[in-house]
Amino acid sequence: MNYSPTVKLENITKSFGDFIAVSSLTLSVRAGRIYGLLGPNGAGKTTTIRMIVNITAPDSGRIELFGQQITPELQDHIGYLPEERGLYKKMKIGDQLRFFAELKNATGKAVEERIDKWLARLKLTEWKNKKSMELSKGMQQKVQFITAILHEPDLLILDEPFSGLDPVNVELLKDIVLDLKAAGKTIIFSTHQMEIAEKICDDICLINHSLKVLDGSLREIKQSFGRNSVALRIEGSNGILNDPSLVSKIERHSDEIEALLAPGANAQDLLKKLIASGVMVSKFEMIEPSLNDIFIEKVSEAE
Amino acid sequence: MRKFLAVVKREYLQRVRTKMFIVATILGPLVMSLFGVVPALIFSIEAGAPVRIAVVDQTGKMYTRLYRAILNEIKDDDEGAQTAVDPKALNANSSERLQQAGKQQRENFELEEVALDGRPIDRLRTELSERVRRKDLDGFLILPANLLQDGKAEFFGRNTGDLFTSGRLEDGLTRAVREQRFADAGIKTDVIRELSKPVKLQSYKIGEKGAEQDSGEGFILVFATGFIIYLTILMYGQLVLGAVIEEKETRIAEILFSSVKPFVLMVGKLIGVSLVALTQLAVWGLAFGAFALFGVGVLVSKGLPVHIPHIAPIVFVYFTLFFLLGYFIYATVYALIGSMVTTTQEGGQLAMPIILLLVIGFYLAFPVIQSPDSRFAFWVSMVPFFSPITMLVRIVTQTPPLSQILLSLLIGFGTVLLLTWLAGRIYRVGMLMYGKKASIPEVWRWVRQA
Repeated sequence: MNYSPTVKLENITKSFGDFIAVSSLTLSVRAGRIYGLLGPNGAGKTTTIRMIVNITAPDSGRIELFGQQITPELQDHIGYLPEERGLYKKMKIGDQLRFFAELKNATGKAVEERIDKWLARLKLTEWKNKKSMELSKGMQQKVQFITAILHEPDLLILDEPFSGLDPVNVELLKDIVLDLKAAGKTIIFSTHQMEIAEKICDDICLINHSLKVLDGSLREIKQSFGRNSVALRIEGSNGILNDPSLVSKIERHSDEIEALLAPGANAQDLLKKLIASGVMVSKFEMIEPSLNDIFIEKVSEAE
Repeated sequence: MRKFLAVVKREYLQRVRTKMFIVATILGPLVMSLFGVVPALIFSIEAGAPVRIAVVDQTGKMYTRLYRAILNEIKDDDEGAQTAVDPKALNANSSERLQQAGKQQRENFELEEVALDGRPIDRLRTELSERVRRKDLDGFLILPANLLQDGKAEFFGRNTGDLFTSGRLEDGLTRAVREQRFADAGIKTDVIRELSKPVKLQSYKIGEKGAEQDSGEGFILVFATGFIIYLTILMYGQLVLGAVIEEKETRIAEILFSSVKPFVLMVGKLIGVSLVALTQLAVWGLAFGAFALFGVGVLVSKGLPVHIPHIAPIVFVYFTLFFLLGYFIYATVYALIGSMVTTTQEGGQLAMPIILLLVIGFYLAFPVIQSPDSRFAFWVSMVPFFSPITMLVRIVTQTPPLSQILLSLLIGFGTVLLLTWLAGRIYRVGMLMYGKKASIPEVWRWVRQA
């Protein structure tokens, strides 16, 4: 098992004139995981990605890909779907895909087969010989997605891949992303849409105003942010909830109660006591903070 | 290298396959040859029936002379009786061709004398006007009694815009009156003819192979060469501008830059488009060659006055070299501009000074044609932005020493290298700058940063 990270940034700084886009950023992306690069618009995500794909060079710091210093040759092992993306308007879809693959040094019959395979999977087969100007925006976006994966890269970088897609196509692309992860590919997923990130990311890194706010595994981050609350729906006396050794605070919502556990109290004990007291429990759920909550909390903390 | 070739291949195939390219390639020489052949063809068309003119001769003695003058029986020179099929006509330059065509037209006249028979001239005029209105007649000519003294006559016609007819009448009248005046002065007709023989100027070009006859096509050739190189540089430069802006506008650049170095991409694009241009020029060259070999013979045998000037093969080599020079100078600047702007319109505005430079180069060709050996011609053919046109014009008119040609090429291609380096630096940054047009200080910063 290879534990060396697929992407490693050490102390990366990049500025444009007086504007600092990325400041002393250190992060590492583990192989075979989906890494969420999250942050509001203008946080420095795209600049960071551009440095990883070797479009721009950092002012200082070190970038390693697959355990070595980046070189132009390594670009062939990266698939990149930029946020600002386009296709040649007057070029046929098949020709464009072939061209973009060729730029990644992927040619031949295998590529032809893959073009057909992916077009079929994204339901674009009949558009292969059409010019891209004839395609709808959503279809063009799917074609662009194919250009990023056609050369079977080991590292896939997707910058807002789902923006502007309808829910059916979002599911379609999400399934492919998860399949690629299952096939051992490393994926960097950049977005400001926390709901999607929450569903598919293994690890995340939050950036705000050019600075890293937080990073780590999504699971651990959520646990560390656990506010230790329980959402309850019960029928019967709720006297147990007034025991200060178990619950320190209750909030009543329309049809459920949110109970904040007292310090040192345990949700299991609360459930046991509720059942023992003869109360009907129809809902008992540990509340996790959403990524959105964490994000807002962290960002407002910094300001 | 493979990526570079992929870029070149895409640029080439995408453009060569377009309908625009095919149409332009086929129509190009057609349009150019039309400019040469069509006027002659059109003028040789005898549209409709003969022009019917009535002549009221109040002098009482001019009609016969006028009749003969108009129907070409009186000639100023020996060529009058010739038809367009005459072999000499094959050497004709365009102005002679016009004359040839006009001569055919002249023969298509019908003259009719109308006697006064004691009627007042006003009444006759009304009668003749009525006939013109009825389309019995196309016009009438009134020769006043004092025509020989005043030299004034009147023509009334339905179509006074027909310059051939009025020109022919005036011409015929002038000659008829002149002969009559001479005759009245007692000078014999053959003496008159002998004395009024016109002078013919024959031009000869002194070339490497000694004197060669030149009846004007020399200038046309030089002009055409200058014009074609000017037009193709302009056309393909604009194409590069459009291509660069497209990649920036559609944000394809970002995907491309994640796969291939910006410099490789830019140079691949420039070379790809240059191959498209060379393909088009080669097709035109071959079409021209085929026309010179076979087409001319056919047209000549059908009686059309066509002549292809002799062009030394080395001229084609120079043309290609200087075309490439001009193309790479201007296309590189166009690529640079394309990466600075955000829309095609902005690109067009920013490219104006560059086009102006090219236009100046084109106009400089005229003084250079007049004195291709002058100091002025030498200097303008060394300036890289002008040399593709001016040096080529010098080569076609009066080939300068090889050392000068090589020097011009050397300066030119040195400039190309410099511009490519500069454009590469701007392109790399500019292509990823969205939102607004870059300012000059900003661009200068891009150039300086490593």
